[in-house]
Amino acid sequence: MSAPSSFPNPDSNDLDRLHAAVKREKEDLDPGHEPAPMWVLFFFMLVAIVAGGQLGPMTGGFSFDVSNPFSIAKSGDPRPGGGDGAAAMDPFQTAMKKGASGYAVCGGCHQGSGMGLPGQYPPLAGSEWVLGGTERLIRVVQHGLVGQVTVKGQNYNFPGGMQGFGAGMSAGDFANVLTYIRNSWGNEAPMITKEMVEKFRADEKRTTQWTMAELEPFKDKNLPGEIPAGPGATSPAAK
Amino acid sequence: MQTSTASPDTQADNLRRAAIDKSVKGPVLFLFLNGAFWLMASTILGVLAAIKQFAPDFLGACSVLQYGRLQPTHINALVYGWGVQVGLGVMLWIMARRSGQELRTGKSVLYVAAVFWNIAVTLGLVAILVGKSTSMQWLEMPAFVWPVLLVSFLAFAWPMVFMFGRAFRPEGFMVSTWYILGACFWFPWIFITANVALHCLPGLGALGAGINAWYVHTVILLFFAPVAIGAAYYFIPKVTGQPIASSQLSQIGFWLLAILGGWTGMQHYMGGPLPAWMPALGAAAGVLLLIPVGVVGLNHHLTTLGKHNLVASSPTLRFVFFGALFYPVSGAILALISNFSTGATLQFTQAWYGFQIVAVYGFFSMTVFGAIYYIVPRLTGCEWLSVRLIRNHFWFSVYGIGTIVVTSLVAGAQQGGDLNSPEMWDQDFMQLALNLRPYIIARAIAWALITWSNVWFLIHLMLMVAGLGRRSSAPTLLEHDHEEVLPQAAHA
Repeated sequence: MSAPSSFPNPDSNDLDRLHAAVKREKEDLDPGHEPAPMWVLFFFMLVAIVAGGQLGPMTGGFSFDVSNPFSIAKSGDPRPGGGDGAAAMDPFQTAMKKGASGYAVCGGCHQGSGMGLPGQYPPLAGSEWVLGGTERLIRVVQHGLVGQVTVKGQNYNFPGGMQGFGAGMSAGDFANVLTYIRNSWGNEAPMITKEMVEKFRADEKRTTQWTMAELEPFKDKNLPGEIPAGPGATSPAAK
Repeated sequence: MQTSTASPDTQADNLRRAAIDKSVKGPVLFLFLNGAFWLMASTILGVLAAIKQFAPDFLGACSVLQYGRLQPTHINALVYGWGVQVGLGVMLWIMARRSGQELRTGKSVLYVAAVFWNIAVTLGLVAILVGKSTSMQWLEMPAFVWPVLLVSFLAFAWPMVFMFGRAFRPEGFMVSTWYILGACFWFPWIFITANVALHCLPGLGALGAGINAWYVHTVILLFFAPVAIGAAYYFIPKVTGQPIASSQLSQIGFWLLAILGGWTGMQHYMGGPLPAWMPALGAAAGVLLLIPVGVVGLNHHLTTLGKHNLVASSPTLRFVFFGALFYPVSGAILALISNFSTGATLQFTQAWYGFQIVAVYGFFSMTVFGAIYYIVPRLTGCEWLSVRLIRNHFWFSVYGIGTIVVTSLVAGAQQGGDLNSPEMWDQDFMQLALNLRPYIIARAIAWALITWSNVWFLIHLMLMVAGLGRRSSAPTLLEHDHEEVLPQAAHA
């Protein structure tokens, strides 16, 4: 081994000094074989438990659609009916829930119990007007009713009659309220859907209140339209 | 002690190691020197960026010198100018030594690659300063830079893999070598994946941010960590003369890091608009990493047990010991910012900066300083000039890094706690940011201390490379008065 001639140091031929750092090195040693101490394993376990805690409820069921770390995939969107409608609630239950709040408009006269006030406002509970043909019911609520009306054998004639409420409500809210009154206080009748209301509003352009005589032809007619399968399609026992 | 034995075998072995050192001398010193320059530049930028954070009017209204440009330049100079560059130098030297192979051909290719690396980093950092930043963490340099960096890296990784392939691999060979080998493969993988995804795939949306966070975490865990641990596993037994305590622990430490490292990152956006399982897996991996981190820490502790007097006297061991100590600390901080309970508070706060600095500077850089103090005298043929400069470098770095990490974590806890507190609903974000002012001032002072030590480190290194070091066969030791330290101490 000769010293490199290009080495910049003037005394580069001094092998002993040149390689002093190399010569004083200790040799490479094989690693020992001490086994891992026992407490290390307990430490592993503790760490693994904490790490597992990061996974368990946080993964969203490993779904690509869930970004909320605090929900599992099945529960989906917390909004009623689900954000995208994929996991929507039963449409009848939804209509009953929403209709109950919509009914606040009606309850002023017909009362929360649906019994009306004797001599002034006719009852909704058990009323043939509510449970009968939906063509007649929707006309009353949409456009109003004036003059004498016979409900459950009693005559009512409130001055001015009932106003039409349809203009102020969306088709969905309207259908929900109708479904609600047809399935509350012991009433049981098929639900009315938003599509039915939309179709009815497109066909019937009346602007004044109806009279009892005018509505006689619609007494047993029902609105055309599909009723979603489920409790709303038949006569449910809705409480 | 080898100096006293002059058997023909030992003599041949010494000459062989000297020949290996000579074969890698040029490229390694080139990388070290440029790296030290970038480190100094990065620390100066760190001071300026910290000052800009609490005194925005400092340096005037020039757009080049605003916080938004100084901070990414500071971090990118630290990562690419210093970290990866000097990491390559340490990797090359250790791999050559461990495999017993000289660098046979292609030295000129390495020079060219190193020059291009530095040109690319320079252009990239200037581009950030003039406003061409991509605004992706650690990838702020414009898109034209990364292919150059990648090819330059591969030019260095290639001979290392060949050295490994040609090496005779006795039992125990792997302990430090596999980390170096792993870093050779992992960095290109991470770098290509992140850059191709972020620069070439359109319409990534929120996932792009996740990939970016993955990149930062994996560069730390699968490049900086392996290089530093590989160096620690090499230098601690080399200086103490004590074998690695347990090969079993070192295997667990390596393979768990290899398996878990790549799963981290997305937890940076926990609760964000990513599929929930991505942050959850990252959080689990971030916590599980405590196992390999703890195991390596324990192994180093068992290896240095009873040799702590050498930590006081050997510059190499002192820096490596400190760096190895900060590996578990970095792991603990990673677990803190990764898990869902404390992470929700520390997310998007100063704590994130604290983690980056403790990993890249406290752990990686300190270990690499130790490696440089060991390697350079063997390459230049002279000894470090000044004990005082080394001591100065060590203490200023330790106090500086300690200050930055502690204040960043405390600032992060305060900031995140305030942001999340229902009682602070009427405080606006700026007020909470202003409340951090004392911590940021402490950071500026700490970076100034580190800059001071690094200026002297650069000068010291330049003198060494110029061959102006101490002419002596005795190592430069920090303490001579200890009775166990022999005059011809074997551990410098």
